[in-house]
Amino acid sequence: MDVSLDLLVNAIVSGLLLGGFYAAVSIGVAISFGMLDIVNIAHPAFILLGSYVAYFANSVLGMDPILAAAIALPAFYLLGMAVYQVYYVAFERRNDQSLRSLAFFFGLLFITEVGLVLAFGVDYRLVEARYIGPSLHFGIIDLPLRLLVPFLVAAAMVVGLQVFLSRSFLGRAIQAVAQDQLALRLMAADPIRIKRIAFGLSFATAAVAGAILIIVQPVEPSIGREYIGRVFAICVLGGLGSFTGMAIAAIILGIVESLTSTFFGPSWAPAVAFGVLLVTLAVRPSGLMGR
Amino acid sequence: MANSSLTVANIDAGYGAVRVLEDVSLSVGAGETVALLGTNGNGKSTLMKSIMGIVCPSSGSISAVIDGTTHELVGRSTEEIVDLGIAFVPEGRRLFPKQTVIENLLLGAFRPAARSAIRRNLDFCLETFPRLKERSRQVAGSLSGGEQQMLALARALMSAPRILLIDEPSVGLAPLLVSRTIDKIKELKEGFNLTVLMAEQNFTQAIRIADRGYVIVHGRIAFAGESAEALNNNDLIREFYLGA
Ligand SMILES: Nc1ncnc2c1ncn2[C@@H]1O[C@H](COP(=O)(O)OP(=O)(O)OP(=O)(O)O)[C@@H](O)[C@H]1O
Ligand SMILES: [Mg+2]
Repeated sequence: MDVSLDLLVNAIVSGLLLGGFYAAVSIGVAISFGMLDIVNIAHPAFILLGSYVAYFANSVLGMDPILAAAIALPAFYLLGMAVYQVYYVAFERRNDQSLRSLAFFFGLLFITEVGLVLAFGVDYRLVEARYIGPSLHFGIIDLPLRLLVPFLVAAAMVVGLQVFLSRSFLGRAIQAVAQDQLALRLMAADPIRIKRIAFGLSFATAAVAGAILIIVQPVEPSIGREYIGRVFAICVLGGLGSFTGMAIAAIILGIVESLTSTFFGPSWAPAVAFGVLLVTLAVRPSGLMGR
Repeated sequence: MANSSLTVANIDAGYGAVRVLEDVSLSVGAGETVALLGTNGNGKSTLMKSIMGIVCPSSGSISAVIDGTTHELVGRSTEEIVDLGIAFVPEGRRLFPKQTVIENLLLGAFRPAARSAIRRNLDFCLETFPRLKERSRQVAGSLSGGEQQMLALARALMSAPRILLIDEPSVGLAPLLVSRTIDKIKELKEGFNLTVLMAEQNFTQAIRIADRGYVIVHGRIAFAGESAEALNNNDLIREFYLGA
């Protein structure tokens, strides 16, 4: 069997799985930044919070990390609504969204990180579950379950949210709210309530993404920063406001990174990934599926 | 039957220190089509925004009867007013430009009371505006001005309103399209059993479908015409519109 073909196929497969994981990490930002125009750069820190919730439930209670995420989901949703309310009262209502709100989310990012350091220390933490370790084998293809399970959970979350956003009244209002708030009022919907719900949902995805993250790799509190650039890149590459575009972009980025690190070494991966972003934006300024 | 009406009583309204409306009163009876006539900057839009809770009157009262129940509108939010069954097609149409025609129409039915009839209303709107049906998957921002006006009207109707307010339906349309749009409003009014208040600068077109009308000059009701004929023979109208 040809070794390089073997490598190539497996690099693509693990890139695909990695892409699913990136989609889960990015979907919260696809909602807050892509649909609400709120630059929540603290999102990766809340994903880390989700990781540590899963870690805590797993190490102390022996709970499955994904089950832990499902249980933490409502709390994250409420936390997101509360954060939006503060953001709304402090910035949005005063039409003061730009620089000072960026400082607000930077502040949240650092507070969350410091909180995690104080609570859990700076060592890498990981979780235990039956699906961490074994792999499925199909011919030359290796499917590590620690990537496959997160991929499936991520896919379910992206598809579920996409269906909700395109089929429900609330979902359609979320997609429209950043375009014209008065128009939304004239549809009998309160834009602030719609945004609060959407931001809550965006936070709820962080609980799931966090659990997935700590299954995929061990985490320490500042690791979220590595994802900030990647996550915004994925949303912009996909086209703001489009989940489908975001998911495709996440998978492209996953495959590109995986191929690069297999054939050229891991340190090249981010550079090549951002190269792809820049080239795509040069050709299609509104992203792959931007409207 | 259409048992929904609108009464504006002695309102003053404006923007900050700028007073636009002074002691304005008007009424729209159940099942009537009333025209609000006036040239640029006389306060037509301000009056409509006051009714919809977008501008808050400093004094006076605005009340609506919806299916026999009376509601005071001053102090309510815009979304509450729409939820009562009062729809508004605003100046500039205010469509969601990145959403498709269908998505815009479905958003029109956000109001819980409109959701049960959504299928029927959607079919009715697409039948009335075949052009929108052809373009149902196109984003609203790429429609022509005339198509956008149709979509704005259809979207307002998707909320299954009892009272419909339309701010200058003819603005920006070619003459032929103006008369067609006015005809459509009449058709929709009958199809949905509506009570209609329509602001217009185009007197001749508005008066074709209006039962009566008010002329607003510098924020005051200068003339209330009890019939189309009365309006036609009014000196103010002659002066402002007919160049006599
Ligand atoms: N947001 C605002 N802030 C301050 N003044 C305003 C505002 N909107 C309107 N005005 C002023 O209020 C007055 C009435 O405006 P309004 O829009 O109600 O007129 P209109 O009859 O609808 O005119 P048009 O036919 O041009 O739409 C004008 O003098 C206008 O300059
Ligand atoms: Mg106006």
